[in-house]
Amino acid sequence: MRARLLFLLPLFSGLTAAASGFDTGPQGARVLGLGGASTAYIGSIAGLSTNPGLLGQWGDSLTRISLGGFGQIRRSSFVGQDTYQRTDQDLTVLPGGYFYATRAVSKRVSVGLALTTPYGYHTKWPDTWEGRSVIQESKLNTFFAQPTVGFKLNDNFSAGVGLVYAFGKYTQRRALGQYDDPTAQATLTSSGSGYGVNVGLYGRTGDNLAFGISYRSGIKLKMDNGAFHATGIPARDASILPGAADFTTQINLPSTLSVGIADRITKKLLLTFDFALTGWSTLDSLKLNVAASGPVPARVQRTARRYEDALAFRVGAEYQVTPKLLVLGGFHYDETPIRDEFVNPEFLDANRAGASAGLSYQLSPRFAVEAAYSFDYGQLRTARADQTRFLVSNVSGTYRTLTHTASLGVAAAF
Amino acid sequence: MKLFVPNGLRRAGLAASAALFLHACAPNQDTPSPVVGLDVSRYLAVGDSYTAGLSNGGLTRTSQEYSFVNLLARQFQNASSGAGFVQPLFDGNEGSFRLAFNGYSPTGFLQAKRVPGTAVRRTVLLTSACGTAPDTLRLLKRSSTAATLPQNLGVPGLMLSQIDAVGLGNEASVGSRPVNPYFERLLPAGDDRTYFQVLSTAASSATFFSYFMGLDEIMPFVRSGGTCGAIPSSLPMKRAAKRILDVLTANKRPGVIVKLPAITSLPLLSQGRGNEVEARLQAYYKDQLPLYIETPFVPGASQRITDRDYILATALPRLGQPTPVQVGSTTMMLPYGRDSRNPVRDADVLENTTEMVYITAAINDYNNFDPVPSNATTVFGLAGLARIYGLPLIDPSQNSRLFDAGFLFNNVTNSISVNGVVYTAEPVRGNFFSLDFYSLTPRGNGLLANSFIAAINRAYRSNIPALDVNNLPSTTE
Repeated sequence: MRARLLFLLPLFSGLTAAASGFDTGPQGARVLGLGGASTAYIGSIAGLSTNPGLLGQWGDSLTRISLGGFGQIRRSSFVGQDTYQRTDQDLTVLPGGYFYATRAVSKRVSVGLALTTPYGYHTKWPDTWEGRSVIQESKLNTFFAQPTVGFKLNDNFSAGVGLVYAFGKYTQRRALGQYDDPTAQATLTSSGSGYGVNVGLYGRTGDNLAFGISYRSGIKLKMDNGAFHATGIPARDASILPGAADFTTQINLPSTLSVGIADRITKKLLLTFDFALTGWSTLDSLKLNVAASGPVPARVQRTARRYEDALAFRVGAEYQVTPKLLVLGGFHYDETPIRDEFVNPEFLDANRAGASAGLSYQLSPRFAVEAAYSFDYGQLRTARADQTRFLVSNVSGTYRTLTHTASLGVAAAF
Repeated sequence: MKLFVPNGLRRAGLAASAALFLHACAPNQDTPSPVVGLDVSRYLAVGDSYTAGLSNGGLTRTSQEYSFVNLLARQFQNASSGAGFVQPLFDGNEGSFRLAFNGYSPTGFLQAKRVPGTAVRRTVLLTSACGTAPDTLRLLKRSSTAATLPQNLGVPGLMLSQIDAVGLGNEASVGSRPVNPYFERLLPAGDDRTYFQVLSTAASSATFFSYFMGLDEIMPFVRSGGTCGAIPSSLPMKRAAKRILDVLTANKRPGVIVKLPAITSLPLLSQGRGNEVEARLQAYYKDQLPLYIETPFVPGASQRITDRDYILATALPRLGQPTPVQVGSTTMMLPYGRDSRNPVRDADVLENTTEMVYITAAINDYNNFDPVPSNATTVFGLAGLARIYGLPLIDPSQNSRLFDAGFLFNNVTNSISVNGVVYTAEPVRGNFFSLDFYSLTPRGNGLLANSFIAAINRAYRSNIPALDVNNLPSTTE
């Protein structure tokens, strides 16, 4: 059985794009422990957000609930290309959480709900760092609600479809370094929502091998309530830079295509493989349509992002140590959607290799606690600013990013 | 949730969270250690206004502290111990006569006001070489370094043609010979030495030098709109440069030579480019009136401005203001420059055919003359001299796409973004040039120092850290 899968390895390793970007990783403690390879994994209903096609597999008489929280620390250090000064990002914890519930309504139809926080980041640099006029702090939080219907097509196949409602909040703060006043700052705040759809298919060939495939559409977060504020502008520039203005913008969250395989090697050991293509290329630039304010006319402010579609490869293992204890482990490799010439300290990312570990402990037949930890090591990124290109605000130097994610949750069935 | 978690697991969870935070220390990266590949223990800076640290039209204690040579010396000191640098600093907050920001004209042009100098010790009115108004010579309080000579020999207004002028730094010359008050305060009282002699003395103990000189030779002609002083000539400039550089490079002393920036990259000119000014005024007055300048060769006649004519930035706020003009037998109030009967006067404009072409040619020749083949009588420009001496050369107008060092003057004219802060040629708002439309702000000096550092790092295999220029003040006021 193992030999059957080996052919996939060269196929995947030959591709040079990958996932990551600002997704917050697997949405559930157990799938986090598994390294996120959950497209064909029915061990946790957290798979619902990855693949709605799994829903039909929980079509027995039980109502299942899984909920928990996670914290992510993504921290970078920077060394200036010419100044040789090292700056470390401030420590921030991006909180996240998940809630899943599934219930069968008939022999063939099940319904489920997934509440997740799949995208987000919180970048915070010291207020006086070299790149303070590019970025001091930036934060994106998203919340997804996905009501889902699953259909059991036959004993071996099931399909599902979910409607995704997404809400996002974006804030950004940077210094106005053209002024001597160190407190001169500009802040942006906006929030908005959008819709998407998530469809998936799950199938089994015999008892040992299962596969899954799913597609979640991209979501456009339309933000019409943006507020721009600036402080510390000297009187002489009041006619060119407003103290406050409204703006609208849109943040495009990427589509995801996932393919996965789960292979029961022995009675106690399950291996899963996942392969995901994330459509980051919809994130081309951050464009703010700033409204007129007082003497200052309306303007469009644009920062280039030019993300590329990206692939991720994930492997997970689940081992039944005792009837009550499951241990999980995983490995993943995510290539970054951010090209070299668009490395920007507002959100840093690199090709990442990561490992994860987790466990699930059955406290009673109906109740389990789950915990997992994952660590990502990012490649060194070198940014070379071109001072004549204003679309890319950049700071020349090298960046290294490490990501830690820990999650704790419970799963119940009754 | 605690209720459900057995003790052992809880401890494991605590350990896991603790481990998470321990590991969350920022990823390690090595910072390069500074390396200085040459002896910078006695740096000698030779030059004019830029080297002295002139800013906002004057020299003050603050502007001296932020001269690019002092910023450079500070980086040397950080990278290599024992690298001292003595400047002829004013005391306290004193300084010469200078300018201060005074808002914008209704047409949007920058205005400056005069601030009297606090370090002026004597004021003398002299007959002006051109014009009826007398020149004011303001002698300044003597530098405490006068007995020993400072390492910053930058003298504002020093012309290459004056390096052998006897008594240039002697108060006794006032009235009979040219006197440069900034040079006078560097020397002991009653000292008749020439700049060249002073420089030769100072050079004997120097281990490294910078040479950035020649612009002040041309500036009087430029500032007067070509009405005062001789048309600039590059030959004597090149000869003087060679004399100085022969002394500075003696015994293979290392150093850096700076080429002059294009004259049109200075805001004194770039802010007043013919067609742009015309369009700006038309937009303000909401009409289509052309802008007129006096025709060279034909006194009294006027012609429409072209894009190769430059109105001096100091004259811009006066454009369009009604001024009395004698038309026939009556005196009419006509908008300055916006009526063919009231053209922009010759003194307010650098006209292309008789002025700009000569200035540009002189600077080009001084910067670049390096013919192949050459012979014993060839008078080389800076590029040729640098090649002969084997010295690195900073070209303030080179393109930043090629070198990190070259983001100056010309690039600033086209605007550059440095770590998210935009620098342009517009004084004050652009943060590069100061109020006199010519000299630099502390940040402009920082950018110039950084391009020096990049050149030194390349040429002398060094690793001297650059400055975070956005940390420097945007003005010396």
